[in-house]
Amino acid sequence: MATVEYRNIVKNFGAVEVLRGLSFQIEPETFTVLLGPSGCGKTTLLRLTAGLEIMTSGDVLIAGERVNDVHPRDRDIAMVFQNYALYPAMKVFDNIAFSLQVRKLSPDEIRRRVGEAAATLNITDYLDRYPKELSGGQRQRVAMGRAMVRDATVFLFDEPLSNLDAKLRAHMRVEIRQLHDRLGSTSIYVTHDQIEAMTMADEIVLMHDGEIEQIGTPDEVYDRPANRFVADFIGTPSMNFLSGEVVADNGSPAFRAENVQVSLPDSVPATSGRKITCGLRPADLSLSETGSINGKLILAEKTGADIHLHVAVGDRNIVAVVPRSANVAAGQTVRLAIDPAKVHLFDAVTQHRVN
Amino acid sequence: MVGPRYASTVRQIIAWLLVALFVFPIYHWVTVAFKTPKEIFDKPPNVWRFTPTVENFEQVFGISLGFGFGDVREVLPGGGNFYMAPRVWDSIVIAVFSTILAVTVATLASYALSRMRFRGQQHFVNWVLSTRMMPPVAVAIPMFFLFKNVGLLDTYTGLILVHSLMNLPLAVLLMKSFFDDIPKEIDESATIDGASRWLIFRRIILPMAKGGLAATAVLAFIFSWTEFLFVLTLSQGSIQTVPVASSTFVTSIGTAWGNMAALGTASMVPAFLFILLVQKHLVRGLTLGSLKQ
Repeated sequence: MATVEYRNIVKNFGAVEVLRGLSFQIEPETFTVLLGPSGCGKTTLLRLTAGLEIMTSGDVLIAGERVNDVHPRDRDIAMVFQNYALYPAMKVFDNIAFSLQVRKLSPDEIRRRVGEAAATLNITDYLDRYPKELSGGQRQRVAMGRAMVRDATVFLFDEPLSNLDAKLRAHMRVEIRQLHDRLGSTSIYVTHDQIEAMTMADEIVLMHDGEIEQIGTPDEVYDRPANRFVADFIGTPSMNFLSGEVVADNGSPAFRAENVQVSLPDSVPATSGRKITCGLRPADLSLSETGSINGKLILAEKTGADIHLHVAVGDRNIVAVVPRSANVAAGQTVRLAIDPAKVHLFDAVTQHRVN
Repeated sequence: MVGPRYASTVRQIIAWLLVALFVFPIYHWVTVAFKTPKEIFDKPPNVWRFTPTVENFEQVFGISLGFGFGDVREVLPGGGNFYMAPRVWDSIVIAVFSTILAVTVATLASYALSRMRFRGQQHFVNWVLSTRMMPPVAVAIPMFFLFKNVGLLDTYTGLILVHSLMNLPLAVLLMKSFFDDIPKEIDESATIDGASRWLIFRRIILPMAKGGLAATAVLAFIFSWTEFLFVLTLSQGSIQTVPVASSTFVTSIGTAWGNMAALGTASMVPAFLFILLVQKHLVRGLTLGSLKQ
C-alpha cells in the first residue's frame, strides 16, 4: 500500500490563495481525515490528490512517485463524491462495474468483483435497479461499492456522509472504517464534522484558511490542541475560553480572571502578569463546594445522558457538562472545579499553546 | 368568502376559454379544408354545420378517381399546380435531416462548451448567439449567390445545410444549459473510473440529456418545417417545402383557399407525429433545470 506525500502545495483560484504551501506525508494503510471549516481548502487538497485540479505549485507523490502530470485514471485512486455522482442512466450493477468494464476485465471477473462488493455492502438485492429508485443510504453504498471494486491503492472520500440523516451517518461511519481496515488501503477522508474525524481517523489533519493548524491522532488534537483555533474546533460543546493573566499564588503558578482562580501545574512558568487565554473543556469541569470558579447558573440543559450547565462567570458565559444526578436549579450560585493538568493555556497574542 | 371549489371552477372555465381561443383558428382552418368553395365563402361563416368533402385533399394529393397517384398535373388558373404530395416529401426530407444535423453538431459543441475551458470561451458563446440576432433577410441574398456559385441552389443538401445553420445557435445554447445542469462530479467520477472523454459523453452524459435532445430536436424540426424565406430564395421550383408551396395557391385570378387549407391541415400531421414521438422526454426536457432531483 502507498504513502501519499504533499510537498509545498500552493493552489490559487485567480487572486484567491486557497492552499498556502502545505507539506505533509500520509503513511500507508492509515485512515487520514482532512478536517476544517468550510472554505479551508480540504476538498481542494483532495481534488489535487485525485488530479481533478491542477496545483499552482508543489508536488504530490503517491507511493513515492510524483503524479503532478499523471492523468486521474492512471493514479490508481478511487473516490467517493459528496453527491455520490452515480450514473443515473445505468443500473446499480453497471454503476459498480463501469470502471472494470472500461478496463476491459472479463465478464466473469466483473461479475465476481461486483458480487463481492455488493455482498459486503448489503446491496445485492438492488443490483438490478436504477439509482433513482434507491434511498440516500443505498445510493451511498453504491458509491462505496464503485470505489471498492477498483482495488485502488488510495481511497479518497469527499464528505460522503453529509447528505445522510444523523442515525444513518453514525452507522455508515462504522462501516466505512471497518471497510478500510478490511481492505488495508490508504484512505483520505474530507469532512467538516469533528465527530466523524474523531471517531474514524488514525490521524487528523486540521486545516484552516489554506494552512495546516495541527496534525495528530484524535487524542492528541483533543488533549493537546496546538492553538486556540484547534481547541475551539474540536470538542462538543466547545471549549470555554477565559482571558486573564498568570499570577504566583504562594509560589506556585495560577490563572486569574474575574471570579476565577485556577491552579496551574508547576511546569507552567509563573511569569507574573503574562496575558493569557485559559481553555477549559466543559467535560473537565465539575461541581465542587471548594471550586475556584464562581458563577451564577443561567440554564441547565438536560440532554438525557448528562446536563449542560450554562454559568455566568464575570462577563462571560461558560458551559460545564455534569452528570444527570447533579441537583441544580437555574438562578443558584455554583462553584466549578478543574484538574490543573487539564487546563489549556494559550498565549493571548499568538494564540499558540504555552503549556 | 369564496369557497375553494368555486375558485377552482372559475379557474377551469378561464382555462377552457383560453384553450378555445387558441384552438378555434386551427379548427376553423381544418374545416375550410373540408368545405366546397361555395361553403368557404358563406356569410356568416358556417363553422359547425356543413357537408364535409375530401375534394380538396383529392386535388392536392392526387388521389381522386381517374387520376393515377403521382399523375396529377392539373394546372391552376394562373399557372400554379394543385398536386402537392412531392412538396410534403421535400418538407419531410429537409426537416428531418436538418434536425439531425443541427442536433448532432450542437450536442457535441455544447458539451465541449459546458465541460472544457478555453481562452475567450464566453466571447465565443456570445458570438454563437449573436449570429441568431441577424435578420435572415440580410443573409438571404449573399447566400443566394454563394449557393449559386457552389451549385447548392435548388438541392436538398443546400436547404438542409442552411436550416441546420439557422438552428445551430439556439440548439447550442439550449443543449449547453442541459449539460450545465448535469453535475460535473459525474464526469469526474467517470474520469477516475478510467473512462475517456468520448466514452463519458456517449455512455453517461448523453443518456442523461435525452430530455434536452428531444426539446432541441422539436424546436429545430418546427423551425425547418415552417421556414419560408430561405426556401423561397434558395430553391427554384424543383424542391419546395410546404410553406412556400402553399403560397402558390394565391394566384393572379384568385386564391384556392380550400386546397391551401387541405395542404396546411395535412402538413400538421408529420410535425404532430414527431412531437408525439418525443413527447415523453419533452416535458422533462422543458422543465429540467427548474426541478433538481
